[in-house]
This record gives sequence, structure tokens and C-alpha cells, in this order.
Amino acid sequence: MRFKKPIIAITAVGMLALAACGGSGSTNGGSGEGASGIDAETLGSAGSGMNPDAKGPVEIEGAKEGGTVTVLSFSGLNSMDPTEAYYVNTASILSGLVTRSLTQYVYDEESGDMVLVPDLATDLGTPNEDFTEWKFTLREGIKWEDGTDVTAEDVRYGILRSFDRTSFPEGAAYSNDYFLDGDKYKGPYKSGTEYAGVEVEGNTLTLKMNKPFPDMPYWGAFPAIGPIPEGKDDPDKYRLHPMATGPYMFDEYTPEKSLTLVRNPHWDPATDPGRTAYPDKYVMDFQTDNTKIDQIMLNDQGEAQTTLTFDDVLAENFRTFQNDHEDRLVLGGQPCTSYWAPDYRKITDIKVRQALAYAYPYKDAALAAGLIENVTRIWGTNLMPPGIPERAEFNPLPDHEPGTTDTAKAKALLEEAGETGYEIKWLFANDDPSSVKAKDVQVRALKEAGFSPKPVASTIADLSTVRADPDADINVRSAGWCSDWPSGGSWFPPVMQSTNLDEEGLGSNYAVFSEPEVDQKIDEILTMPTEDQPAAWNELDKMIQEKYFPLFVIGYGGVAQTHGSAINGHNIDATFGMPTWKDIWVS
Amino acid sequence: MAGFIIRRVISSFLVVVLTSMFVFALFFLGPSNPAGPVCEASGKCTAERLALIEEQMGLNESVVTQYGAFAKGIFVDRTITIGSEYECDAPCLGISYGTRGQVTDELLEKYPATLSIAIGGAMIYLTLGVLLGVLAARWRGTAADRLLVGGSLLVSSVPYYLFALLAWIFLTLQWSIFPATGYTPLTENPGAWFAGLLLPWVVIGVTFSTQYARFTRGSMVETLGEDYIRTATAKGVKSNKVVFKHGLRAAIVPIVTIFGLDFAALLAGTVFTERIFNINGVGWWALNSIQSPQDFPVITATVLVSAVLVVVANLLVDVIYSFLDPRVRMS
Amino acid sequence: MTTADLEQLEHELPPGEPVDKKIAGKSPTRIAFERLRKDKVAVISSAVVLLLILMGLFAPLICSLWGIYPDNSDPASPRPSEVLSFDTFPAIGPPYYPFTWEHPLGLAPRTGYDNLARLLYGIRTSLSVAAAATILSTVIGVSIGLVAGFARGWLDRLISFVIDLFLSFPFLLGALALAPIIISRFSTNLEALSKAQVIALVSVLVVFGWMALARLIRGQVLSLREREFVQAAQVMGVPTRRILFKELLPNLVAPIVVATSLTLPAYVAAEAGLSYLGIGLTGVPSLGQTINDAVNSYAEYPLYLWAPVVTVMVLVLALNLLGDSIRDAFDPKTRR
Repeated sequence: MRFKKPIIAITAVGMLALAACGGSGSTNGGSGEGASGIDAETLGSAGSGMNPDAKGPVEIEGAKEGGTVTVLSFSGLNSMDPTEAYYVNTASILSGLVTRSLTQYVYDEESGDMVLVPDLATDLGTPNEDFTEWKFTLREGIKWEDGTDVTAEDVRYGILRSFDRTSFPEGAAYSNDYFLDGDKYKGPYKSGTEYAGVEVEGNTLTLKMNKPFPDMPYWGAFPAIGPIPEGKDDPDKYRLHPMATGPYMFDEYTPEKSLTLVRNPHWDPATDPGRTAYPDKYVMDFQTDNTKIDQIMLNDQGEAQTTLTFDDVLAENFRTFQNDHEDRLVLGGQPCTSYWAPDYRKITDIKVRQALAYAYPYKDAALAAGLIENVTRIWGTNLMPPGIPERAEFNPLPDHEPGTTDTAKAKALLEEAGETGYEIKWLFANDDPSSVKAKDVQVRALKEAGFSPKPVASTIADLSTVRADPDADINVRSAGWCSDWPSGGSWFPPVMQSTNLDEEGLGSNYAVFSEPEVDQKIDEILTMPTEDQPAAWNELDKMIQEKYFPLFVIGYGGVAQTHGSAINGHNIDATFGMPTWKDIWVS
Repeated sequence: MAGFIIRRVISSFLVVVLTSMFVFALFFLGPSNPAGPVCEASGKCTAERLALIEEQMGLNESVVTQYGAFAKGIFVDRTITIGSEYECDAPCLGISYGTRGQVTDELLEKYPATLSIAIGGAMIYLTLGVLLGVLAARWRGTAADRLLVGGSLLVSSVPYYLFALLAWIFLTLQWSIFPATGYTPLTENPGAWFAGLLLPWVVIGVTFSTQYARFTRGSMVETLGEDYIRTATAKGVKSNKVVFKHGLRAAIVPIVTIFGLDFAALLAGTVFTERIFNINGVGWWALNSIQSPQDFPVITATVLVSAVLVVVANLLVDVIYSFLDPRVRMS
Repeated sequence: MTTADLEQLEHELPPGEPVDKKIAGKSPTRIAFERLRKDKVAVISSAVVLLLILMGLFAPLICSLWGIYPDNSDPASPRPSEVLSFDTFPAIGPPYYPFTWEHPLGLAPRTGYDNLARLLYGIRTSLSVAAAATILSTVIGVSIGLVAGFARGWLDRLISFVIDLFLSFPFLLGALALAPIIISRFSTNLEALSKAQVIALVSVLVVFGWMALARLIRGQVLSLREREFVQAAQVMGVPTRRILFKELLPNLVAPIVVATSLTLPAYVAAEAGLSYLGIGLTGVPSLGQTINDAVNSYAEYPLYLWAPVVTVMVLVLALNLLGDSIRDAFDPKTRR
């Protein structure tokens, strides 16, 4: 899953941090005065539990109905079309409050973890023996916000849309990857609605795969795998007002600026095993800069008491929150990895890539970007973040403590490779002060290690586009990726499998990594029995890093959010690193 | 008289037309590709997609054709294609890339906030400035006068945005004297509207009032030194009456001039005020549209409308001036 | 506030006094200078301005003597991780640790830049941008004003029209619009980008700043033109260029000096303001940028915010007071 897209930056505090810069550091803040961090061990376990029998309605003991929740953020929302909602903020707001899909996650108070439960479907689906066919039966009594019934045909139409990479280029491509003829069927606008992979029989949907897809229930939790009303779904307009099936519907929406959600009168809590809907209204504002958000939250006066934010508290204010308002500070994990990806076609010598990893100013860049060690930046070396089943830590670089810089070692490696003075070109956003500061420390560190750093200026708006261009004149891409579900299946196919550069571009393979051995191995693991997969993914992670070292991990993500004193139920949904929308109420 | 006004109207109109051409050229022919942001707004931008959008937006047409279409839209409805087709009613200033709403509608939506700031601020600085100016003139030479003159010089020497920034930090954030509510529309809640705008008004009022005080004082001092005033005083006309009836009347002419221009500048977009006090008006809107991803139609519209406001204000000032001071017409 | 100030000048300044070189005596400039020397405000503010100019001028020297660095490109400068705590606040000096002479104004959060070094270089940037813009806009404004005032008829009308055109263009919005265009133009070459930003900033200030002076000069020329000594020169067949530069210009010294001295502080303020909005300079230290950064931590680390704020205020205030004194010195009538 993609990180929150960094948009708008007048002061762009900390934003883009994930996309453009890196981390620093020692492993566990040994220096006495470090921040007491989050539980780094379970970062990515996000949703590994399942409960197919969950039933609605859900009630929270002592929770009160009513009130308006104000939500503040400085990063605007990308497309709110359910088919395309693939950023942590868009996907989480849609599936938490507005749109329903086949399955969903709920927060488990005891473990602090997310649990996969049914949503529109009556259970988590029934696979055939080799996971190439899935059956989902829909509940009765689900209605659109206009009161009409949601039919299985609507869900089918929604799934069909998820194949369309032209109209929804930002959407997740799992339907294309796993569904029958997913590479040929291009969605209802291009290929029509004739498609054999999704069949409807009464209330039951049958989904056919081209290869085993044991993770289908997870994919079913994406807003994309839910109903869309055919005929009212012009892709350019539907994103401005997606039809609600959940407890809230769009009232007013100004993209990238503000969103007001009001109660959907046709949502029936009895049909929903995950959501509660205590507040009357959500008013979201995406234009308040982070200094102001922090001040509003610190003061906790008036409306601020019923306000929450899903932006991280600024590093500068973290100490104050931790000392004086700990009850209103929520820390949590985000199953995301930040890494630097040298272009595998251009930087062909593994020693140069390794030297880069030794030379990288982990701690300095984290500080420059305003990331806090062990809170919003956790050091590591595996591509897969901690918490994914069977993940075991390994270290592809001998004698390298994650998060530390070893200039001497980098220099030696570079000399060994005979590449002293190697030119490194990467992008930074010149209109984002954080990005500029991170660039400065990166330049210095690389220079000291014997590289010739040549940062390329871009803008916040253009950066991701330039980065995605295979022909861009850069040889390192700074990138990040988040789990779509707790399995290597949501990491290696999108991040490490070769893509057809002419046709699809880089995709999310920012290293432009291409090794037949790895491609083959990925396909192999996908067809393995489900119980063998987790260990195999971890083996693959290790094999890729030790043998090819195509990218180096800077660290994993964490979040530090704040809320007003009258907000209850604000925990971290670790599948997104976002608030647990489904449990929020106002006291 | 009529000839003078007609000449001024024609030249104002020309100024507006030229400004619009200039703005149009700057954004639509500048080095950034206007299709870029649109293409990116809906995700990964492929070369093929970019070409399609360029075609749809008519970017392959000649400059003159594009400007013609834009100018025509101000008088008649047109349809604009950005991804899909959008209706744009006259006066059409384009469709926003970000919201896909009509820029004209959004402009009207943002204007109340900016207008509120401008009117409230102007009321304060005009009253305060003129009052202080009159007082200083009456007490000319005394300690009070020196204090007022020195104080106004001091205040006007501090850059406005620093003044506003410090006021916001201390009066609102630190000491919570003013609420941090931001802008609430007047129609929604008059109390909150007033509370949210009070600090911006005071800040604008105090900063701008200094030059009015200086002007008023200057003109008053000059007038009070004229023979007819001395005559009036000698004839036993009450001192207050002299000051206000004769003195102030003379001071009004230059004040009208700068007031018109200042007010137009305020209306044109209070960028710093809106940025610092978090008010979603035209200035903030323009600032946001310029941050990536850039929203060209919005930028064009804000610049153009601001220019029109300034031009109209200039025109009005000239016309009023020519009534107040007939000598102007001759020159 | 340039425009307003200059417009005020237009109201207050009498047409330049003709200089009669034949009769031995003090020139108005000389008289003004003598008045200035007796004006306490003028003396103090020029001392402050001079001090700030020296600080900016010798910023590199002071920094190297003190052993402080405005950024961390120098191999000897401290790395952020060496001087900052986990929450990006400095681990030495204010706000949480006692004062140290090594970094008298403390270090910047996140980057560990030395605030004093940053301040000195910021003054340097501000003053050089403002000075360049002032010189350019004065030259342009004076030339255009001279031509407009002297040439009657269509040329004068055309120039007046152009002045109106520029005056109606919203300066801030124009400046806002240019910034991203420049970044996208020069993105690949960072040095060129840095230079381009400086040039662009100066150009924006000049393009939107020459009109007031041009108007003022035009007005002055209009009335000077009717004076006997000019008419006499015309009758005698003195070439126009000679009349403009030899006869008229010397008589315009007073308004030009006054206008210039009031333009400089306006430009200093404008530069910091644009950088504060994030559309000024990004590659070099700038006071506005530091203010913008420091707002994040105003409560915990007031010194970080106050140092640049006070510097901008003092700089602008001193320049303004000096400008004001200069105006009074040239025309004592204004201070009645």
C-alpha cells in the first residue's frame, strides 16, 4: 500500500519524510534520554488474526451517541473513488466510515491488533481446495445511501472496475495479478461487463483465480472489492461522491481541502459486524498545518476537545505531549518500510550498492526529516516489517548495526570496487524544507564516503511522477512501501518482481530489479500451500538481500497521533497506521 | 468631465485586457505544462495519458485560439474537457483542476472571508488613523503629538507579517486572549464570525492606521496654517468646528486616494493575513493553488480578479478625486 | 508599503530646487548631510545599519573565527546526530541545556545548524538581494520617469499607461506564481537553480517596484520642465539627452536619495516575507526561512524564533528611520 501522498506544503513539516528521506540511528535508543517507543516487534502483524463468525451490531460499553468529530490533517486526500483508494488515509477513511467491502478489519482491544472479520459477506469466504475459486455470500438488508438495495451485481461491478489500470492508475493491481484473465480483462469501460472471473448466483459471488490466492479475504477488505452502482460511476466524478454503504455518507467534499461526513440513514448496524457509529458527524479539514494542529491539540480548548488528527505530532512537540498529555497521545505501528533503491540497471556492482548502505546518514536524515527514533522511525534490515508471521531478522551487511553509518567501511568497499567518485543522482523536493534538509545531510555523508552526490531538484507535485519514469536521469530512488496484508504476498510481487518497463513502467519496483531467479521464486511461493508460504517469503527476503542486495532498508514506520480530551476509542489501526475510525465516540 | 471619465474607463479596460493576456501567457505558455498536474491528479501519469489530456485541454491549439476561448468564456457559457466534460457558465474563469468545480463559483465562495477581513480591517484603520491624525494635528508640537508620530513611524517600520505572526503566536496561542477558531461564515454564526476575525482586524487596523494618521496630520497641519482658517479662527469660529469642518475636509482628498488603493489591495488577496490566521479566503486559496500540484485556472482567476479590483478602485478614486479637486481634470 | 510611502513623498516633496552653481554656496545635498549629522535618530540608525552591513559583509570571517557553520556541508561542521537529541532539539545549549559560548544563539532543531552563523548569512542574503533590487529599480524608475516627464504627448501617455498596468498587477500573487516555474526550469542544476532563484527574486522585486519612483520622478520633471533654466537650455539648443542628465538629474538627487532610502527597507521586508511564505530562496540561508522553521517550536525554543524576528525588525526599522531622517534633512518642512 502506498504512503499518504505528500501534497501541499507551505511548511510541509515532516511530510514527504517517508518518500524522500531516510532514517538514522541506534537500535533501541540506548542513550538514556531517548523516547520510550512503540512495540517494534508487532509493527506489521496488523491483521493476522481472523474471526469469520463476528456478528453485528457492535456496541461499545459506555459509549455515547452524538457529537461532531473534527479531524485535522495537513495532507489532502487523493482519489476517494473506492476502486482507486490505495493510500493509507483514503483507504482507511473509506472503509472505516463510508464504503463497505466483502471483509473488514476491527480493532481488538486486548491484543491491540487488528482482526479480519466479515463485512458485506456473511463470512470470510469459502475457497476451493487449491484457493483458485472463492465463494462469498452477501448479507440481506444492505442498502445504498439513497435507500435502494445493494445487490450482488453491484459488488460484481465494483470488482470489475478494480481491473481498470487506465481509469484508476493508482489503485491496487491484485485483481489483475490473481484473477482469471486478469492480465487481459481491462475493466467495464474498456472490455465491457462480460467477464467470466466473477459470477453471480442469487446472493452468492464466485470469484475465479488464475493462480492460488489464499489471501483473497484480505484483498476483500479493500474498498475496491465492494459495490459500485453501474451507471452512476463516471470515474472522473464518482471520486467526488462515492455512494455510501457504511454508517456515514459524503455531505460536502472539496478534494485535498475538506470533507464532511453525515449519518447514512440507510445503514443498518445489525448487518455490520465491525462498525459503530456514535458521532453524528465528521468534519475533516486537510489544510491546517502541523504547527497549528499541534497547538490546537495541546491547548485542548473548546472544539479541540472533540478533535483528532492522523498526522504525526511534530518531533518538537513530542516531549511536551509525552510528559504532560500522555493520555491524548496515541503511538502505534504502521507496517511500512522506507528504503533507498539503487537502479539495478545502472548501479550494477553490488559493492557500490552495499557501500551506499554503509554510507547512508540514517540518523542525520531522520532528524532532518523530524522523525523520532523508535517512535516514527524504527531501524531494521528486512524488507518485510516486523510482525509478519515467520519473519526472522537477518542482516545482509556484516558488522553493520541497523541505523548506523560506517563511512570507513563504505569508502573501503567503494575502493575495492574501483568506483571511488561514483556519481549518485536522486530526487528531492525543492519546495519542501524537510526534503531539502535531508538532502543536505545525504550529500555530505555520500561525499565523505567517496561518492559524488548529485541531487536532482524536483517539486512535491512532480517527484513521484519523475521517480516513476524508468528513463529519468537518476540512479537511486528513495521509496517506501506498506503491507497490504500481513504476508510477503503483498511485498515481493509488487516491490521485487520485474515489470515490463515499456508497457507498465516501474510499477512499484523502484529498484528496477529484475532477476529471473527471483521472479520464478515469487511465482513458486504463490503456488505453495498456504502454511508454507510465510517461511518461504522470509527465506526469499533474505536470499534477495544477501545475494543481490538490490535495495537497502532505512527503517520502518510508526505513528504518533493526538486527540482531544473528549475523544474516545482513538487507537491505531496498524494495518494503515491510521485511527480506528470504527470505534470512535465523543464523551 | 465626461470626457475625462471616458478616457479613464477606456484605459482601465485596456489595462485589464493586457493583464489577462499577460497572466494567461505566464501560466499557459510558461515552462510548466498545465496538463501535468491534471494528469498527475488522477495517478500515474503516462506519456500516452498526458498526450490525451493535452489534446482534450486544447493545449495543442495556437496561443491566440486558447486565449480566445478563455476570453469568450467570460461572456458566454462553455464546456471544458479535463478528463471528463464540465459545464462552465459565464462568466467562466475555467474549471479548477483540483476540485473540478467552476472557478467562478469557488471564487464567490471564498470572497466573503476576504471581504470580511478587508471591510473590518479598513473600518478600524480608517477610523483609528484619521482620529489619531486629527488629534496629533490639534496637539501639534506637544509630547502627545511626538508620541503619536514616533509610534506610528515605529509600527509602520515593522514588517506587517511579523506583526501578524507575533500577534497570532502570543495573543492567540500563548495567552489565548483571542480564540483560535479561524473563519466562520457570518450567516452561520455571527458571534464566531466576529470572534474569529477580531485579531486579524486589529492587526490590519493598527498597522495600516499609521499611514492614515501621518497623512491626516500632514494635511491638517497644512490646512490649519492656511489664511482662511486663520481668518475663521480670528472671526471667532469655534476651534473644534474649524478643525473638523475646514481642516478635515481638506485632508479627505489624499485619504480617499490611498484608501481606495489600500482597500483594493486588501481585497486582492490578504495572503499573509489568511496564511497566518488560517482563514480560507482568496489569498490562502491562491497560495494553495500555487503549491504543487498547481491549479492553473485558479491562479489565473485570482490574479485577474485582483487586477480588476485594483483597476476599478483606481478608476473610482480618480473619478471621486476629480469631483473633489477639479484641478485634476485639467492636467 | 513602498508604493504608499513613495506616494506620500509625492505629496510632501516640493519640486526639486534648482541648483545654481554660479553662486558659491552649499548644495542641498550638502545642507542635508549637515542636518543629518545633527540628527540623533539618523546617527543612531546609521550606526545600527552600518553594524548590520558589517555583520553581513564579514559573515564568513566571523563564522570561521568563531568556528560555527551556517549549514553542514563543511566536513568540520557538526552532524545533526552529534548535536541533537531524539526529538530533534539541540543536545547542547538552549532551550534545554545551559548557554554555551560555542553557539551563543543555540543550534537549529532538526539540522543542528548554528543559529548565529545562519543569522549572519541571512543578513548577508537579505541585504544583498535588497541592495541589488534597489539599485536596479532606482535606475529603471529614474530613467523611465525622466523620459516620461520630459517627453510630452503619446510617449508620456504610453509610459503612464504601462505604469498603471504594472501597478494593477498584484505583486504577491505574481511572485507566488513565478516560484514553481523557476524550480521546474532549473531543476537539474542545483547551482544554476540557486542563482536563478536569486535572480528571479531580485527581478520580481524590481519588476513590481520601479513604478512608484518612476511616477515620482515624472511628477518632479513635469514641474522642473517649466523652470526658466530648462527652458533656456532648450531655446539654446542643448541636446535633449544633455538636458535630461546634466540639467534635470542633478536637481532630482534629493527625491532619488529619499526614495531609495525608503525602498531598501521595503525590499528587505519583502525578501524575508517571500521566504517566509516558502517562495523565496531555498538554497541559501535567509531570515524569512528561519522564521518559518522556528514557528514550529516557538513555545519550547523562543530564542530560535526571536533572533531572526528581532533582526529583521531592527534592520527594517533602522533603515526606515534613516530613510525618514534623510527625507527630513532634504526637506525640513515635512516635520512641522
